[in-house]
Amino acid sequence: MTLDGDHLPPDPEAFGPWLGRQLRRKGVSQSELAAALDVTRAAVSAWITGRATPRVDKIQAIEEFLNLAAGASATRDETPESSGYIAWHHREAHRDGGRELGNAAAFAFDSSLEITAREATQNSLDECHDPTRPVRVRFILHEISGERLRRLQEAIRWDELAPHIEAASDPNEKVGKQKVGRKLAEGLRELQETGKLLLLRIDDYNANGLTGDDYDDGRFAAVVRRQLDSHKLGTAGGSFGLGKATIWGASRFGLVIVNSTLSEPHEGLRERRVIGRIDLPWHQLNGAQYAGPAWLGNRDPSRETAARSWWAGERALDELYLRRASGDPGTSFLIVGAHDPSGEANSLEEMHGALVRGLATNFWASMVAGDGKPPMLEASVEALCDGQVVVAEERVDPYRYEPGRARAIRAFLDGTTVSRLTKSDDVVELAVPLTVPPRKSEKGQAPVEHTAVLLVTPAVEGDPKPNRLVGMRGTRMTVVNRPVTALSLGSTPFQAVLLAGIVGDRKLPADTSAEAFLRAAEPPEHNDWKATEDLVATYARGAATRLREFRQTAFALVRATVKPAESVESGGTPTILRDIVDLEPTPPARTRGYPTVKSATGDVDETGAWRIRVEIKLPERDDPWVLRPVLRFATRSGPKPEGRWAELVAESNCDVNGDILSCAPRERSAVFTGVSDVASHPVAGRMTIVEVDLIRAKEGGR
Amino acid sequence: MKRIMPYPVLTGEVTMTIREARLDDVQLPYSVISEQDRTVVPRPLERDDWEVIRLGVQVRAQRYELDAGPWLSLSFLATASERRTNAHSAVKLMMGQPGEWTGEVEIHRDDHVGRVQVSGQLVATVDGVPGRVIATVNRPWTVDLRPGTTAHRESIDTQWANFAEDSRFSWCKTDPWTVTTTDETATLVLNSGFDGLRAVLESPTAADRATREALAAQIAVDLWSTLFNEAVYHVEGHDWPEGWRGQVLRRMLPDIFPDYSPDDALHEIVNGGTGAIQARVLHAAAKQARMPRSLGGFIRSLRKVGPEDE
Repeated sequence: MTLDGDHLPPDPEAFGPWLGRQLRRKGVSQSELAAALDVTRAAVSAWITGRATPRVDKIQAIEEFLNLAAGASATRDETPESSGYIAWHHREAHRDGGRELGNAAAFAFDSSLEITAREATQNSLDECHDPTRPVRVRFILHEISGERLRRLQEAIRWDELAPHIEAASDPNEKVGKQKVGRKLAEGLRELQETGKLLLLRIDDYNANGLTGDDYDDGRFAAVVRRQLDSHKLGTAGGSFGLGKATIWGASRFGLVIVNSTLSEPHEGLRERRVIGRIDLPWHQLNGAQYAGPAWLGNRDPSRETAARSWWAGERALDELYLRRASGDPGTSFLIVGAHDPSGEANSLEEMHGALVRGLATNFWASMVAGDGKPPMLEASVEALCDGQVVVAEERVDPYRYEPGRARAIRAFLDGTTVSRLTKSDDVVELAVPLTVPPRKSEKGQAPVEHTAVLLVTPAVEGDPKPNRLVGMRGTRMTVVNRPVTALSLGSTPFQAVLLAGIVGDRKLPADTSAEAFLRAAEPPEHNDWKATEDLVATYARGAATRLREFRQTAFALVRATVKPAESVESGGTPTILRDIVDLEPTPPARTRGYPTVKSATGDVDETGAWRIRVEIKLPERDDPWVLRPVLRFATRSGPKPEGRWAELVAESNCDVNGDILSCAPRERSAVFTGVSDVASHPVAGRMTIVEVDLIRAKEGGR
Repeated sequence: MKRIMPYPVLTGEVTMTIREARLDDVQLPYSVISEQDRTVVPRPLERDDWEVIRLGVQVRAQRYELDAGPWLSLSFLATASERRTNAHSAVKLMMGQPGEWTGEVEIHRDDHVGRVQVSGQLVATVDGVPGRVIATVNRPWTVDLRPGTTAHRESIDTQWANFAEDSRFSWCKTDPWTVTTTDETATLVLNSGFDGLRAVLESPTAADRATREALAAQIAVDLWSTLFNEAVYHVEGHDWPEGWRGQVLRRMLPDIFPDYSPDDALHEIVNGGTGAIQARVLHAAAKQARMPRSLGGFIRSLRKVGPEDE
């Protein structure tokens, strides 16, 4: 059962799948076993499919034949050498000499950590297992070195793999000069020089996990075997699509180890299904040529050079940094040698920031809860260094990163939207029609009328990017994010959200049609709705026009909503004159041409007099500044009574003459102290607030 | 000018937000409120029978600072005041969460005529003395009740008039523009009868841009130097004049007397007059008009088209 073979399996699996796996592992066919045991092949088949159970003597014979310890079949133990089967299996080069120098799907994406976070999380949302609970995603950055690094390298059979990576990045070979080869060489050099390796682990919980056969159609094969398979199922479509390439793209080596807890059993098991995959370019090593990709797993005798997933033990998962935090189904990807492909984030803190940003900007809407229901998604990011927390686990809070838009979604879910803006936190709800044309395959069908929901709310103060429209489908992932231009002068700054396709819990047939229509209008990056080839090929003529009308209507409705009640254009001020007739106060210059009070501190002493120390900031000049410090008592309105000084003392860079201060020429600062004359106080000193001001004075008098 | 308090005060910002406005219980559209410019312009005030505008106000201070400080019995007083009518009123807001106060500020028509400042102060008992101000709203709001005000930003009015047909301008009917002022407003009047002026100023084409900007700068220099001299004429004593006059002086004096503080500069003008500083007034007006940039662009554009025309 376990790779470690050092403890009893927690729950014995069914005999049939266990036997099937032992046969595959040994490369023994059902007929061979039948012949050896002197039974029919049909009987063996019945044991494996669980339709029948062999007698005790036959079980012993099986154990003997398979070279297993007596009783192994009862505990469903694996062959002792099972761990020895875990190895890297490299795909041989194409016989026609064709060479792939990188993953085609990876080139279809702009690469950055933000995009990796977006694509991985999108897959998790699409693979939601129990829709009544949120999908939880967790990103953990972990930099390891020393023995931690060595232990991981042993667990992933690094020493077997390294020669292949070196060969693929050899600068003397043609392949090493390509983009992919250079990236590998850089990764190897950094590992050797720093002795550090960065791991990025991406977990999802309450997702389906990698179910299905090792090779046939299914989630497992879609992720592990097929680069361009988008594994489309139903209307949401596209889970584990091209985007999975961005997970491999986030590794300097294209190396990812996967551990999955399945939502439905495979080979009778659910937990700890593990496989590794590396995407190298074509390379040759010791005279043999390799296509590039390789898998870490069990040897599959029935398929040359292929590897199957294995069911790992708890300890092996600890060594691989892949032990999952709960029994909830889902998948953990361990990106080995993680980096930000865009090169922007380098430190752990920066990468943490990039991941949080990627999650917040793309999934804030899925993380908003409302109407007493949990959100669709919960996400968190943390960063560790050799087991020590560097940035604590941060649960991504949509209200922190997208306050205006999150408020809009919340009001929609709670049903508290209004029809016109009157308050600073109002959310206006409007209907935007979308005519979905029939598919070309549905000749004669009438177009369907869909009603999308447009939400508009005033932007919060200090919003760095107000006046934008964000569009999304049922997945609530940001697809369109555009500025709204040509706004009327004096329009309220706002944020607008367009919910199209499957909206809330309405469950209208037109919503499903619109969802598919808009899905077809998205390019692989899912960042726009436009006339894609997919859209034009799938839908009847006019699809592109319908889409354009939809967008234009949404933008026009936003403009109308935020327009001031009465047009303010009436003044007839030509635009060119607007700036020069402005009367608003201008902010004062940071450096001023006259002496200013830099700091003033003080207290009332026991006699009731103010004792004040004043630092003056002086513009540098050749002539001395001659100033009269003025003490005033603050009032709520009206003139401020002036107080007299009982004493003025120069502290630095100035001289006092009566109540006049002469500051030394060419100095940049001066300090003096003063004591107020209690007789000049309008009320007791303790009850006053004082102000100090500097007035120009003529030398030698007022 | 620096203030010194004889007791501990808040260092963090206290911000005030106006969340909604009602005119005699009728909810006004949110567009009358501009968070960015901190103004409320309840425009439909042409009617004369309204009584009160109620503003929904929210104030926030830094909670951790309040928790840590030596202040007791905190309360927040929102104020509405206007210099012209010398009307001041205050209302106590309710504390919701710690560090957050909400309430309503009323603006009564009987008390106000123009620009009402809405601000507020956080008061507390400090060292046994009750009612001490420990913080003031850092960016106060302005409610602009002046009839005809439409924009949130304060600006000089602009009008078009045909000088030849308008008796007010018969004395200058061939001029392209002129300036008129009252205590309330300053108005730039453009002569719609001046051939081509409107066409150039309102031309949408990029090719006319340099000409348009040079012309606008020329208008601005005339406008600002006229307004400056008008404003100085109305300075009384050592007080800053109200309204547009005060704003014109505050904008231009730093360019006229760069090494004087604004108050000193005002004194200098009161004592010394402006006869001797007209060259400096022209400099300050050119700065308001951004003359160097506009004229520079115009001259470069002439150079560009020059050779082709020859």
